[in-house]
Amino acid sequence: METAHKQPNYYAIWLILFVLTIAELGVAFLSGLHAAVLITILLALAVWKALLVALYYMHLRFEPRRMWLLAATPIPLVLIFLLVVLAEGW
Amino acid sequence: MSTIALPHEAQAHALHHDDRSFVRKYIFSTDHKIIGIQFLFMSLFFLLVGGLLAMTMRWQLGWPGRPIPGGAILGDAKAPGGVMLPEFYNALVTMHGTFMIFFAIMPLLVGVFANYLIPLQIGAPDMAFPRLNMASFWTAVPAGLMMLASFLVAGGSAGAGWTSYAPLSAVPEYSGVHTGQQLWCLSLIILGFSSLMGAVNYITTVINMRAPGMTWFRLPLPVWALFITAILILLAIPILTGALILLYFDQTIGTTFFLPANGGQPLLWQHMFWFFGHPEVYILILPAMGFVSEILANGARKPIFGYPAMVGAMIAIAFLGWIVWGHHMFMSGMNPVLGGYFMVSTLVIAVPSAIKTFNWLGTLWGGSIRFHVPMLNALAFVSMFVIGGLSGMFVAATPVDIPLHDTYFVVAHIHYVLFGGSLFGIFAAITYWFPKMFGRMMNETLGKIHFFLTFIFFNLTFFPMHLLGIAGMMRRLYDPTQYPHLQPVQPMNEFVSVNAFLLGATQLIFVFNFLWSLFKGRKAETNPWHANTLEWAAPSPPPHGNFEVTPIVYRGPYEYSSPDSPVDYLPQDRPPLERPSPAPTLAPAGN
Amino acid sequence: MSQAAALTYPDRRPMPGMGVYNMKLGMWVFLLSEVMFFSGLIGSYVILRFAHPTAYPPPGTVLNVPLTAFNTFVLICSSVSMVKAFAAIEAGDQKGLRTFLLATTALGILFLSIQGVEYTKLASEGMLPMASLYHAVGRHGGTAVLGGPLYGATFYTLTGFHGAHVTIGVLCLIFTSIRAFRGRYTQENHGGIEIMGLYWHFVDLVWIILFTIVYLI
Repeated sequence: METAHKQPNYYAIWLILFVLTIAELGVAFLSGLHAAVLITILLALAVWKALLVALYYMHLRFEPRRMWLLAATPIPLVLIFLLVVLAEGW
Repeated sequence: MSTIALPHEAQAHALHHDDRSFVRKYIFSTDHKIIGIQFLFMSLFFLLVGGLLAMTMRWQLGWPGRPIPGGAILGDAKAPGGVMLPEFYNALVTMHGTFMIFFAIMPLLVGVFANYLIPLQIGAPDMAFPRLNMASFWTAVPAGLMMLASFLVAGGSAGAGWTSYAPLSAVPEYSGVHTGQQLWCLSLIILGFSSLMGAVNYITTVINMRAPGMTWFRLPLPVWALFITAILILLAIPILTGALILLYFDQTIGTTFFLPANGGQPLLWQHMFWFFGHPEVYILILPAMGFVSEILANGARKPIFGYPAMVGAMIAIAFLGWIVWGHHMFMSGMNPVLGGYFMVSTLVIAVPSAIKTFNWLGTLWGGSIRFHVPMLNALAFVSMFVIGGLSGMFVAATPVDIPLHDTYFVVAHIHYVLFGGSLFGIFAAITYWFPKMFGRMMNETLGKIHFFLTFIFFNLTFFPMHLLGIAGMMRRLYDPTQYPHLQPVQPMNEFVSVNAFLLGATQLIFVFNFLWSLFKGRKAETNPWHANTLEWAAPSPPPHGNFEVTPIVYRGPYEYSSPDSPVDYLPQDRPPLERPSPAPTLAPAGN
Repeated sequence: MSQAAALTYPDRRPMPGMGVYNMKLGMWVFLLSEVMFFSGLIGSYVILRFAHPTAYPPPGTVLNVPLTAFNTFVLICSSVSMVKAFAAIEAGDQKGLRTFLLATTALGILFLSIQGVEYTKLASEGMLPMASLYHAVGRHGGTAVLGGPLYGATFYTLTGFHGAHVTIGVLCLIFTSIRAFRGRYTQENHGGIEIMGLYWHFVDLVWIILFTIVYLI
């Protein structure tokens, strides 16, 4: 295909995803942190994992910049929706 | 970008011998032009249905309790003795809104013209995914039939308004409608798939299939508008689909997402619906803005004033459309802090809207205007959009909205924008592109009669609604004479109703003109309006595959009255004459 | 048909606009709308949970987290085998493509089966979406009902729609595998595998988010 890029090490990504999942379980059930801190850490880990999948498995890292722009379009809209919905909750 | 494949090489020999069967050619066609025309007939049919529903409502509002002429055919369940029941009135309100928004205006603007115009105006032989395109149309048809059929089921069609606020829409006992409300959800979910398939197609086509030289800032404004609209559809429709599915679960399997009894949130429906609904409002107006920009430049014989500002304003409107949805919910008990935020962000939309309006006026300024029928309708669009926009400013301000909320003022506002705006834009676009679609001109005299009568009766119908709203008449009201404070304005209701019927009757002129011109109209030449964009380089109507040879684009779409040309227009694909100019770039990308 | 094909753009060639071929761009565009769909559902979950915190029992009391953690692992494995299938055909390795496609399909079916077991178990413990039937007592027994019906409704909606996407993905994978065994994909022409991969990884990505917010928070 047109993407003559160097292949990333897919198994290494898989290992990182696995370790991050274990870390999530550990943080959720064993750490005993305050709820707000806990949720922040868990969400950060989830976003990290999602980014790994998008960047390496979906090859976003090797796509043209224009594609990054396209892929990012819904993100601000989602954030706005969630922010307002959260403001409604408080 | 070293391996640029010129994508048009495959088409040249396929143009001349078109041996597809009738079914493949006109019914299950993958040709974007046929699909656009199919959408045109479907949505004009639903436009008529929606109009009939509106006039039935106006009968009740003008003369409450008097039997509808010919109302006996409705049957005792809807109108015993020809006098409509409140439940049937609710169904009329709901279905008028639903048909007009989802099955008439939206497919007219997007289904028809995105399909028809995008490949022609960017110089492509067809859409990126022709079969997906066909699937899109044949998914929309059953959705429409399902919605129509819901009139026939027991309990009648949905009656909770086109906004379908829960819990009214979620619990059958509240609205008295069981099956109809569920069919409403299912029909819109199916229609959502149709819109989604269309949107994926339009976006891919505009990004990837532009002819050589067609850079982003040489795109005609209708393509820009339809591209931005497709993005809005792509991102907004799934929100509606999600909300509809949750509502459907509430109606059928007994969940309580929107029912307060078990901790559900009625406000959640409103947030989801309007998070979709406000981008939807711009889906319904942006394409019309694009068509009108094209037609105004053509009629004024001048370049469009401020092309980059026009594009920027459309992008700004589209983005702002996502962050203002709460202005539909000022009276819903939403967090008041959010109310302030939503008011300010809504008022900001006036800025790009004003940029567009002033640019249209700037385009007209000093032009030698040709008042052909599309131009007249486009001018009506601009003036009526201004009135609709200004009344929008009233209801966007929270303190003003509190008394005006859910009154006929809002009804007047939305009709000035959707009828005065979108529908005049659609009339302009249909009359403008009719010669390209069918190879014949529409009758100019009939067109002008239709335009002037529509313009007059439109204003006489909808302007008094502002006053009715200020007088305190609630929207979706079955019988205004029940309320003492509305009895003095009842003559105005009769006046509105009479004009609504005249407005409806005027549309018959359009129907006649359309059908007559289809068969008997004057044969159209290739470029009857002396326009610049690429569709006028193809024959009228264009053959399967559109262009004999792939056009190469040398300039922007609005080079009217250019000194470089002996005539007052300069098509995008005409090679530059004697003056040396930079060679055309073969790659459309790279802005 | 052949004529329509002649008029169509070559499907698997990079096009000038985005620099990728149409089908790939189309799939990305479609996935953006999927992002919005799941965001709508997640947004509704957030608003309901904030409005009614007592309806949501602490994580791990009703839902079987170890089982689902294993299921997450299954889905991550299926993602890596999918991407290995793509890497195989990029290198022209037909046997690798077939092996990894079959592995991906099998892991997808395993994921759905485990989800089926999970649903059945939860339903028998009274964790149901219907408000009138909800009486979840949790994994540790007892008679006290944990949480409220919104918990069941949002749980089944979020995971169910993800499951529906996996089901569609598995069906597409079966279709893709059949084509792969017929030798339809080559080193030069394997857009179908890449499209399939994009969808499958997206489904995995959604699960990563859902697992965190539904099971762990």
